[in-house]
Amino acid sequence: MVDSPCPDLISDLPQIIIESILTWLPIREAVRTSVLSSKWRYRWTTITHLVFDEKCATLCNDRALVEDKLIKFITRALLLHEGPIHKFQLCTSYLESCADIDQWILFLSRKDIKELILELGESEWFRIPSCLFNCKKLIRLELFRCELDPPPTFKGFLCLKSLSLYQVFVASDATESLISSCPLLESLSLSYSDSLTLNIRAPNLKYLFLEGEFKDICIESSPLLITISVAMYMTEDIFEHMEQGSGCNFNKFLGGVPLLEKLTGRIYFTKYLSIGDDPGRIPLTYCHLKIIELYQVSFEDMKEVFVLLRLITNSPNLKELRISGSSNALAAREATDLDFWENECYSHCVFERLKVVKMTEISGVPHEMEFIKFLLENSPVLEMVSIACSFVMEERLSMLVELVRFRRASPRAEIVFIQP
Amino acid sequence: MSEVDMAVIKPEMMKSYIWLQTADGSIQQVEQEVAMFCPMICHEIIQKGMGSSKNYAISLPQRVNPSMLSLILDYCRFHQVPGRSNKERKSFDEKFIRMDTKRLCELTSAADSLQLKPLVDLTSRALARIIEGKTPEEIREIFHLPDDLTEEEKLEPLKNSTDDPRIRLLNRLYARKRKELKEREKLKNVETEEERVDDRSVEDLLSFINGGNGDAKGIKAPKSKKKNRRRKDHQKNASADESIESPEKGSNDLDFLCLGAEVDDKLQPHSGETSKLLNMEDETFSPKVEFEDGDIDDEIDPALKEKIDREVEDFARRLNSDWPERMQEILSLGQESRPVNGNGSLRRYASMLTFPSLLKVSPCSSAAEDVLFA
Repeated sequence: MVDSPCPDLISDLPQIIIESILTWLPIREAVRTSVLSSKWRYRWTTITHLVFDEKCATLCNDRALVEDKLIKFITRALLLHEGPIHKFQLCTSYLESCADIDQWILFLSRKDIKELILELGESEWFRIPSCLFNCKKLIRLELFRCELDPPPTFKGFLCLKSLSLYQVFVASDATESLISSCPLLESLSLSYSDSLTLNIRAPNLKYLFLEGEFKDICIESSPLLITISVAMYMTEDIFEHMEQGSGCNFNKFLGGVPLLEKLTGRIYFTKYLSIGDDPGRIPLTYCHLKIIELYQVSFEDMKEVFVLLRLITNSPNLKELRISGSSNALAAREATDLDFWENECYSHCVFERLKVVKMTEISGVPHEMEFIKFLLENSPVLEMVSIACSFVMEERLSMLVELVRFRRASPRAEIVFIQP
Repeated sequence: MSEVDMAVIKPEMMKSYIWLQTADGSIQQVEQEVAMFCPMICHEIIQKGMGSSKNYAISLPQRVNPSMLSLILDYCRFHQVPGRSNKERKSFDEKFIRMDTKRLCELTSAADSLQLKPLVDLTSRALARIIEGKTPEEIREIFHLPDDLTEEEKLEPLKNSTDDPRIRLLNRLYARKRKELKEREKLKNVETEEERVDDRSVEDLLSFINGGNGDAKGIKAPKSKKKNRRRKDHQKNASADESIESPEKGSNDLDFLCLGAEVDDKLQPHSGETSKLLNMEDETFSPKVEFEDGDIDDEIDPALKEKIDREVEDFARRLNSDWPERMQEILSLGQESRPVNGNGSLRRYASMLTFPSLLKVSPCSSAAEDVLFA
């Protein structure tokens, strides 16, 4: 062997650095380092983060071949791996439910797995093997398109902080008990759920993301929530079911989240909040709420407008407001109840901190215009209002003329009118 | 002394300074808020009350030399300022890591010893980017890694996972080469046992298969055992024994990961006449010898060996008709030269076995491991 005049630059770095470098590499390249030199022969085998995708096998047109290669690659990598595995991620559309995956999960459950992310092909839903529920050290669990059925003996993931279920089929009550049996849960994402009735009880929850059809959601005891983002779809059935229900959705959903900092609602969320008994003056002040985003607000529905007003008037530290309209222009044009904007109740409300307002999909119907006027009149530090119309309107000019007339509490307020 | 120190500090009373000493003995004064960005220094100041004067300078780890320290302080000086946007930080980082690989390695090491995790992440990510997409040869060159794996280790047979006849043939070729290597090694062993090149790596593999835990520990432990066994082998005067076979299996596993997926792909698109011919050959051959696992029967019977040789030559001749000239040369070289001794021929064998690059000429094709990753 010839002595190299330059010393080896990298091999003698501390193992922690070598592992860090190997972890940044795609796993196939990390495994490849085993032929570099004797010092590198087994360096990769102790990395604690294993991230697999279809790049682990060279792609070709034969799906079965790719699948076979992927399975072999992963099985062998796991066999050769030494020590704990903290993260296992498998995202590929080439793999579907198969015995190998069940075995990998069993294997991982014995390796103190902390983070597990599984996203498999779409055609067949993957049934999660019950051994998953033995992964006691799980901190983060992210599952896509699968079926989850906690066994009766399941006592909860005591360390779990982040749970994301995308298109995961779980029975309503099982979802509820899964959530409440993770005492440390901080982040919860549920998407594409189907007519779910959900009572969220998670004392440490800070981040909540929901998307899908929900029959009923109640945030019961999650007082630490900081961020809520909801995209809610609604069928006629659900709507009727809700109308008949008792109680007030607004209070059920937002009645117990005093620390909320950011609220985002899409599609029917505002409508959802507007359903139920009028809460009257809500007892809660959202002192920390700084950003409110409500999309597809129907300004012709006074109940939705009330939801909007109730929210912003109870958020003294609001900084940024983003609203999009979805008004049925014809119905909204003949607005009644315009008097209430002059009403005592809201007239002396001041938005001390509001700086940015962004309105999109605006069609210039009376309640929209009144709302903009209300904001301009009562926001002394406002810096920018941007207004984007939903379509080319003949009334655009008259809308502009009207806008120009509005009094502005803030001398610095700039109105940006965005043409469609 | 402390008065002198005070005098030095006085003009800059607005900011507090601390003293740092690098391993070469030089001491320097640094803004405290900047230095505190390193958890190791922060710990020294808060927990041990160090750094307040020249006499109590914080002595930094060996790995932090003055030039690395000034780099690291630049990094800290930028990042400790609150209110910078992510974009600003990112573009600073990007420029910051523009340096030669040697310095980058040193910086990673120095940052690690100061427990400066964000910088360790940044630099190790940059190193990963250097490695990514390179051939093992290129990587070795960049980092000055010794090419100390034996040819045998690099030539471990490909797993015939897809039942591709060409891979079987490839394995057969490997088998021959491995056998020859082994024979030569034996010869060498008789001369000087210490010079065995692959001693350690076989140990590696053994410990690996036996479930040895950890590289360093696992390797050292069984070493003596192996030595003993080797001596026994010599007494028995047996040729390649069964005990060598198991390490090979283990390494097959390992290498399959790097090889299998890629090599059989490489071969995949070339399914023309050659493949058909090979197929025919294969059928006559495979029932007798099982090469499925790439395991080589070292006590191959002479008649069969001759047959392999014939076939390999045959195969080579046929392929020569449409392979590039250079490859023909290499191949014929391999066919002719039956090495007696010496390391020089090893290399040639390696190049002879650059199979995928023969089938599909790739730009880099001199060393055996290109088979793995070409």
